[in-house]
Amino acid sequence: MERHRPMSHEDNPPSAAFLRKKIRPGEDVVDSSNHAPSKSIFGPSEPTDVDTYSETDSTPLTNASSTTPAHLADENIAPFLAKHNPEQYAPLGSRPFQLLEPSPANSKFCYRHRPDIKCRRQADEPSMDHLQRELETLPLSDQQGIAHVWSVFSAAPAKQRILMLQGILAQCCFPQLSFVSATVRDLIRIDFLTALPPEISFKILCYLDTTSLCKASQVSRRWRALADDDVVWHRMCEQHIHRKCKKCGWGLPLLERKRLRETKREIELRATTWNISAPSRSVTPMENVEATPTPAKDSASVTGKRKQESDDEECAMVKRHCTSFASENPQEKDDEYFKTRYRPWKEVYKDRFKVGTNWKYGRCSVRAFRGHTNGVMCLQFEDNILATGSYDATIKIWDTETGEELRTLRGHESGIRCLQFDDTKLISGSMDRSLKVWNWRTGECISTYTGHRGGVIGLHFGDTILASASVDKTVKIWNFEDKSTCLLRGHTDWVNAVKVDTPSRTVFSASDDCTVRLWDLDTKTCIRIFQGHVGQVQQVVPLPREFEFEEHDAECENDNISTTSGDADPASIQASLGLDSNSSSAQTSPFGPSFDNGRPVPPRYMVTSALDSTIRLWETTTGRCLRTFFGHLEGVWSLAADTLRLVSGAEDRMVKIWDPRTGKCERTFTGHSGPVTCVGLGDSRFATGSEDCEVRIYSFRS
Amino acid sequence: MSSNGAATTKITLTSSDGTDLSVDREVAERSVLIKNMLEDLGESGEAIPIPNVNAAVLSKVVEWCEHHRNDPPSNHDDDDSRRKATDIDEWDQKFMQVDQEMLFEIILAANYLDIKALLDVGCKTVANMIKGKSPEEIRKTFNIQNDFTPEEEDQIRRENEWAEE
Repeated sequence: MERHRPMSHEDNPPSAAFLRKKIRPGEDVVDSSNHAPSKSIFGPSEPTDVDTYSETDSTPLTNASSTTPAHLADENIAPFLAKHNPEQYAPLGSRPFQLLEPSPANSKFCYRHRPDIKCRRQADEPSMDHLQRELETLPLSDQQGIAHVWSVFSAAPAKQRILMLQGILAQCCFPQLSFVSATVRDLIRIDFLTALPPEISFKILCYLDTTSLCKASQVSRRWRALADDDVVWHRMCEQHIHRKCKKCGWGLPLLERKRLRETKREIELRATTWNISAPSRSVTPMENVEATPTPAKDSASVTGKRKQESDDEECAMVKRHCTSFASENPQEKDDEYFKTRYRPWKEVYKDRFKVGTNWKYGRCSVRAFRGHTNGVMCLQFEDNILATGSYDATIKIWDTETGEELRTLRGHESGIRCLQFDDTKLISGSMDRSLKVWNWRTGECISTYTGHRGGVIGLHFGDTILASASVDKTVKIWNFEDKSTCLLRGHTDWVNAVKVDTPSRTVFSASDDCTVRLWDLDTKTCIRIFQGHVGQVQQVVPLPREFEFEEHDAECENDNISTTSGDADPASIQASLGLDSNSSSAQTSPFGPSFDNGRPVPPRYMVTSALDSTIRLWETTTGRCLRTFFGHLEGVWSLAADTLRLVSGAEDRMVKIWDPRTGKCERTFTGHSGPVTCVGLGDSRFATGSEDCEVRIYSFRS
Repeated sequence: MSSNGAATTKITLTSSDGTDLSVDREVAERSVLIKNMLEDLGESGEAIPIPNVNAAVLSKVVEWCEHHRNDPPSNHDDDDSRRKATDIDEWDQKFMQVDQEMLFEIILAANYLDIKALLDVGCKTVANMIKGKSPEEIRKTFNIQNDFTPEEEDQIRRENEWAEE
């Protein structure tokens, strides 16, 4: 280790003469400008400094200037050592270097010397052996002199050590100071994670990214224990799962957030009471357990029994695919069942991370489902079940794992344009103007709803409300509970899609009249019109309420003007809103007076797709279009979204994955030989259906 | 704020090595510990002993508090730290350009004195020293002994391979 050879690069090689000269007052060996203070400390001419020493040591060091090193040892240093370090004092020359190891009995060291021992006895510490060999090349008398200097320093209490160092530094010339500076920088390296209380170490680790954390756990046993701990990985899960981390732009698939929250207190306690000897895994539920979704009340809810045996994150499909908006009232689960099975959070995170990486790099397996004899127009998948509807007037139920066609539902007289299923039922809408409710497990048609005067081309249901969209330009609301129905009129052309938002009791609709409308189910009125698309709007998908969008990401300015609902025809819009002005006072809801009294508001963001080849992201509160997604060459028929990504299918036969925040198209999939009419999105999969009669599922599981 | 008479009251802090530091009360109150002590002590004018922090570190901490005297009170929201990640503002970055011993002491002092924002900056600084490094580089940076056997090391490396992009 070159850098630890103290004098090797000096102008004046160390020698006995050099050392003797150095301690002799007035004899500046190297650079006199740096040496002026040396006189005052070591010279006899300054009795005040001598006094400083005599406070703690009866033997004045001033004698040193007139004696040989050998005498120093016998007459002066020995008593000093005996006084300050009695237990370790040994005859000099025999074992001089032991003195450098502070004894625990010596309480005069500065308080940081104890952690010092822990931190400094490390890999590439300057070896005393090496220094000793260096020393042995010198004449014996010089050896003794140097050894004595070290011994005295070693034995001195903290305050005196500082004084000694000041004295030495004051005598150093710049090259020597530079040597000191470089050496010191290298010497002051502290194993923070080991030396700090665990609570603070965890705090540090929680600032790291995935890769760095995994590197950290390979450093040493202690680091591994800390960096692999649930305290750290629980937090990583919180930050990344089902949301895009602001820090790294990385998002992982859904994990039940409720359970994540429940564990939080336990984890916080763990951080404060952490003990390396107790690497507990006690707090992590099994993955397939915690991934169990809390199905939205407004969506197809799937009960626990099937969940438990099914593969984990697919469970949330219904919620995400069908509604794309999160429920505020997650259904309570049988928590007791899950309490007994646990799994480290790092493992949970790892599995999600792998899926996330596969999405990022487009690593997936594809399975095709063939059997329909005409174009596939609608689909939904959940767990291992895929349901598809086709212009061949049938609905098919498939097993996504085996690819097997399980069942065909026959009854509609014309093409199926829309469907949705939950645990117990499947509802379909057809060009034959009817809606049918099926038991999809048996294939039995339970009931048929008629009422539309045109084909039913869009539908969506929540707990108690079914909305259907029709060629007859209306949206019909069917209330399961009181069997009432009502019609929402306003669109001037076909209504292609509807989405019910149960918490806010509102409905979104998308139409060939190029607008999207937001309806209040309490008043049965349209409360917002979104204009901006220049083609028929095919899909509307409200984004989950957890979706976050940074204002500075918006590219609104030019879009803003043409798309704000009020701008096209302010008077009529205001009239339809029943508002005096868009700029109503701060207390009133942007959605009008009926939302003033704590009623949940609709999801803040939504995405739409249209035959103008674009996808748009909107802010529902203001009506602004925040972003337009360009990339498809022809009309975008289908769209699905979660907090992490959008997937779209278009007339151009392409399927694209988008980052909703940046607007970037992350990947394009080709393969269908006809327009892509429908898409579905899950945490680790997406599905596409096409006029080429085929359905494809792309899986990103590893 | 500083025009207020009460805000500019001076108080004295005594470091572990016996040095007295005169500090604006408002500045010293960035430390929750000192703030609470002052509330308990009242306007006695007595020097407040800070037995765990030496003069060099204490003056460094006070320097930080001076610069951040007008910062809005930090909210203890977790989301806050998630958002800001390891970004450190420029002044703080400069402030933290100290040797590891001083950084270590600042972190301990911030923890002891209960100055959350300073503790955050200190921890972020250490995190930034770890970030993007290989295990060997981390060992070098902090002078850590590799106490794994070659077999263990190999196994642990494989266990963590998934995180390599």
